[in-house]
Amino acid sequence: MNPVDFFADHTYRMVFFGTSVIGLVAGALGVFAYLRKQSLISDVISHSALPGTLLAFLIAVVVLGVDGRNMLGLIIGAVVVGTVAALGANAIARSTKLRIDTAMAVMLSVCFGLGMLLMRVIANGVFPGKGGIQDYLFGNASVITIVDFVTSLAVGGAAIVVMIVCWKEFALRVFDPQHAIALGFSARLIDALMFSMIVVATVIGLKAVGLVLMVAFVVTPPAAARQWARTLPGMVVLSAVFGAIGSGAGAYLSVSLGSVPTGPLIVLTLFAIFLVSLLFSPRRSLITRSIGRIRARQRLRAQLLAASGGWA
Amino acid sequence: MTERPGVANETLACSAQHLSVAYREDAVLVNVDLDVPQGIVMGIVGPNGAGKSTLIKAMLGIEKPLTGSTRFFGRPLRQAKGRVGYMPQSTSVDWDFPTTVFDVVLMGTYGDLGWIRRPGRTERARAQQALEETGIAHLSRRQIGELSGGQRQRVFLARTLAQRPDLYFMDEPFQGVDAKSQQAIVAVLHGLRASGKTVVMVHHDLATVRDYCDQVTLLNRRVVASGPVDEVFTRHNVRIAYEAEGAGDPFLAFDAGVGAP
Repeated sequence: MNPVDFFADHTYRMVFFGTSVIGLVAGALGVFAYLRKQSLISDVISHSALPGTLLAFLIAVVVLGVDGRNMLGLIIGAVVVGTVAALGANAIARSTKLRIDTAMAVMLSVCFGLGMLLMRVIANGVFPGKGGIQDYLFGNASVITIVDFVTSLAVGGAAIVVMIVCWKEFALRVFDPQHAIALGFSARLIDALMFSMIVVATVIGLKAVGLVLMVAFVVTPPAAARQWARTLPGMVVLSAVFGAIGSGAGAYLSVSLGSVPTGPLIVLTLFAIFLVSLLFSPRRSLITRSIGRIRARQRLRAQLLAASGGWA
Repeated sequence: MTERPGVANETLACSAQHLSVAYREDAVLVNVDLDVPQGIVMGIVGPNGAGKSTLIKAMLGIEKPLTGSTRFFGRPLRQAKGRVGYMPQSTSVDWDFPTTVFDVVLMGTYGDLGWIRRPGRTERARAQQALEETGIAHLSRRQIGELSGGQRQRVFLARTLAQRPDLYFMDEPFQGVDAKSQQAIVAVLHGLRASGKTVVMVHHDLATVRDYCDQVTLLNRRVVASGPVDEVFTRHNVRIAYEAEGAGDPFLAFDAGVGAP
């Protein structure tokens, strides 16, 4: 499909710009998860966002008696439970002998279990507007409405603004957590802000991408950007660009190729960017590094042979 | 709990009172009392696991003490934060972090800025000066991952200098350092003392204690002895701190720097 036809179509436009925004925000904030060595935290968040979203839906429908599909309400539910789960995993790692990977796995699975339970409750009951709730599992980019798009733009934009305003504090805490405390900053406050922004970046993509694949949006762009960037601002900008371009390109391809789901194709596009970065980035390239190592070893061998008089 | 006399004394750079720290059920530090007068270099010396780093962290509130408290210039830490600097062990961070030497040193000025405010011309000038004082101005634009062990220590030292505190806590500043960096760090230490600043430094090399320190605290979970090097840094006290038994102990053959008896 040529670009003119593509952008003339409202649904395609929504898919393209909707996923690009998701990729941009997740790419930017994913850098902080990467640098805290908690890349998988986004998987905890996305899985715990399921019960959060469904709880928000139930509260809206049963308690408040309003439309349960309101995007902002669902995001708030996801953010609350997602933040609790992310900080909970960190609290377990801090206060027990369990390591963070175990703590994250426990948190992730228990939240997902709760979410599946709630999903069954909703499926079995009579709730207005419950259709489409299963999209949160695997995502469905073609159902992005203009309201969804504007909401994710506003919420994601707010997360980016918080990141820029608290840039100095975030940078300090990710580089040297204890130094931040010694300088008089509240570690708790910085962490709460940082993790809730990572949560926001994760949950705005749930409906379009699904909770299973969302982790790729948060993890892959920073991993690719690290290969090229020399500074923190450089890494965040590059990661955001990778996220946006990968998502846009993946969305375009998925439409062009016919009935191919968008989320999975974006994940593959992001992986392609990651692979190119691993192989060809100037200073950290796998190829030039291994060639350099082989040459250095050959030189060393030649020297040693010469020194030993050629007996080895 | 009664306060020791002089704990709130403003002429002391810092004073720890009955400080204890426990990791889970195990006491790492037991009832440490420590007075550091202003304008001196205080070495904290003791065997591995003696709680040297923990003592510094507990005084600075990074590690939560089980009992006790610390005052800085006669005040609680909250009221003296800007005057107290901390140089952690350089191995405490991941040096494969996307940032430059200059940006790390600039972080030393963040405490004075507080929340939200960004570093400006004044802060950059402070960072630049700290780079020059530690002799690494030429590395300013370098990626921190490309530095040697000694250069890393000097980056951390420069970051602490950029903060411009009156009291410096340094955790093993000479760890893994080449001769050139060692000289540069010693020069900074002497400069700080000459300008009336105070340094509390965890130090593991007994042979150089006399050269670098005015006072020394021998630590092994509790304070074995603390005071001027000439009075305190004796063979007897070192032996107690290191739990070395018997006169023929090979450990005691190495005590060139230790005073007799």
